[in-house]
Amino acid sequence: MLTMNKISKSFMTDDVVTHALRDIQLHVNEGDFVSVTGPSGSGKTTFLNIAGLLETSTSGEYLLDGEDITKLNDSGRSRMRNQKIGFIFQSFNLIPDLNLFDNVDVPLRYRGLNASERKKRIEYHLDQVGLASRMKHLPSQLSGGQQQRVAIARALATSPRFLLADEPTGNLDSQMAQSVMSLLEDINKAGTTILMVTHDPSLAARATRQIYIKDGHVSELTQKNSNLHLVGEA
Amino acid sequence: MLNLFSGLELGPIFRALMRNKIGALLIALQIALTLTIMVNAIFMMQERSQQMARPSGLDETNTFYLSNTIFAQNYNTQTALQQDLQRIRQTPGVVAATQINAIPLSGGGWSMGLQTKPGDDLEGTGTAVYMVDEQGIDALGVELIAGENFQSSDIVWREVGSTKWPPKTMITKALAEAMFEGDWKKALGKTVYIDNHQPVQITGIINGLQAPWNGWNGVERSMLVPQQLDGRGSRYFIRTEAGRRDELMPVIEKMLADSDRGRIIRNVTSMEQTRDESYQEHQATNTILLTVIIVLTLITGFGIVGLAMFSINRRTRQIGTRRALGASQWQVMRYFMLENLLISSAGVVLGAAGAVGLNIWLVSTFSMSPLSPVLLVIGVVALLIVGQLAVSYPALVASRISPATATRGRA
Repeated sequence: MLTMNKISKSFMTDDVVTHALRDIQLHVNEGDFVSVTGPSGSGKTTFLNIAGLLETSTSGEYLLDGEDITKLNDSGRSRMRNQKIGFIFQSFNLIPDLNLFDNVDVPLRYRGLNASERKKRIEYHLDQVGLASRMKHLPSQLSGGQQQRVAIARALATSPRFLLADEPTGNLDSQMAQSVMSLLEDINKAGTTILMVTHDPSLAARATRQIYIKDGHVSELTQKNSNLHLVGEA
Repeated sequence: MLNLFSGLELGPIFRALMRNKIGALLIALQIALTLTIMVNAIFMMQERSQQMARPSGLDETNTFYLSNTIFAQNYNTQTALQQDLQRIRQTPGVVAATQINAIPLSGGGWSMGLQTKPGDDLEGTGTAVYMVDEQGIDALGVELIAGENFQSSDIVWREVGSTKWPPKTMITKALAEAMFEGDWKKALGKTVYIDNHQPVQITGIINGLQAPWNGWNGVERSMLVPQQLDGRGSRYFIRTEAGRRDELMPVIEKMLADSDRGRIIRNVTSMEQTRDESYQEHQATNTILLTVIIVLTLITGFGIVGLAMFSINRRTRQIGTRRALGASQWQVMRYFMLENLLISSAGVVLGAAGAVGLNIWLVSTFSMSPLSPVLLVIGVVALLIVGQLAVSYPALVASRISPATATRGRA
């Protein structure tokens, strides 16, 4: 599903080179639920951004569904994000001027689906997260937990094979966090591969595999499931 | 093509705009105001340009005139005039010369009313009057299209204060059409009446000769009468061989000045210069109107850029999120261009109504012609293009926002 081979990322600021990620080796199989933890500034977000094709690596090889991502141009990466990856953000990242229906519609329009197919998917996924009756509401009219559910519906509407969640419960109270986490577990059980960055050890522990990032290096904490392979510390 | 325009977001963009009306509304109103003013200003410029492009009927490039003012006492004005004309006509390079009472397009001249029947209570057709001799039409360079030129025996002297008119006239085709129901050919040989009762026979029709007043709606209506003014001030109108005007202007001025010290020769002016001076106000007005159009368009363009840049800065994370969700750079760019198109479309619809309204007021207040729908369409298209050009840079900036802004960028 996902293979990173010697992926590195460095930034140059004022003649100072910062190594955010160093020679990451990782293989994730389809259906895995991987949590990513680590201290602030350890490279978690950079790792997530590269995994989600939001940034490009400085060096290394990244294969997603067998396709070498490092060879894709911006347009190709956009298409790949739209077709294969779903995103859930800490701040939900819903578009405040659009109602729930239009928010979930955003990635579907980029996919180029026709109106009836889009409508079917939007209604189905909003129903799945329990918000079908509020699809004409604006995000500001919902609680944080409800907004994150809309974001999950938006991420799932394109039927992604790979879901990336960046601190999905970071802005939620514990009850809401549990609810969202349960939803993610259900999604994973339905076959979607999930990579989740979190600060919360208890939530991380619910993943089938835990990755720890520190100073740009990746290491494996636990291995609950044999179909997830962390290829050592780079 | 399918990829370029698939998933157009007109509906969501419109709904989002409806939730943030103020900025968009202000830009739409600015576009509306610009269109209203721009279309009417272009229309006024167009009218002036058309006026300036009208042919005067003269051979403007090869003609000039000068003033002769006599100050000497005991002066035989008639003899001096004949001698002056003889000297001018004998100058190599001169085609023809005549004394004339007024200069076309100069702003000052004579006008009378001509009527087809005699009578005090009849309304005549207004016409400019040019008093010339038998070389008049050659000196002016006008084209005789019917009838015949004056003979030297037709020319009569007109003393200062006289109200007597000669029995013959040549009139312009436009004057003939105005007097004879649009058929200028009917005019030839007819007797018309000047000064209510004095009969004058139309012996010739000339193609065109504009009056001295370019803003007059009867500017194409002129008549030539075979008269020479007997006075202490006169003007000579001279036509030279092609390309020799500038060379002969100082030669003739000097020759006349040297030949008689009892008068002053001044105001030696080419017809081209007279035309330029005549339309100076038109040109100045057009320049001002053009400046207003350019400034308004630039202000509108900068307004669009400003609003778009503000909007992009406010929505940086939103744009990053769209990119993360799969929007290509082109799709982000298209979003802002479509948004601008919607705002501009509202603006041009309002502006088109405003332009028509302003034109109706101008037509009723200043007797202008109605606005051409083609001009309105051109104005609408031009402003839509300006809008798209103005938003293209901010849209490009937006398209370059990294998708990583979704996880790192400002809210």
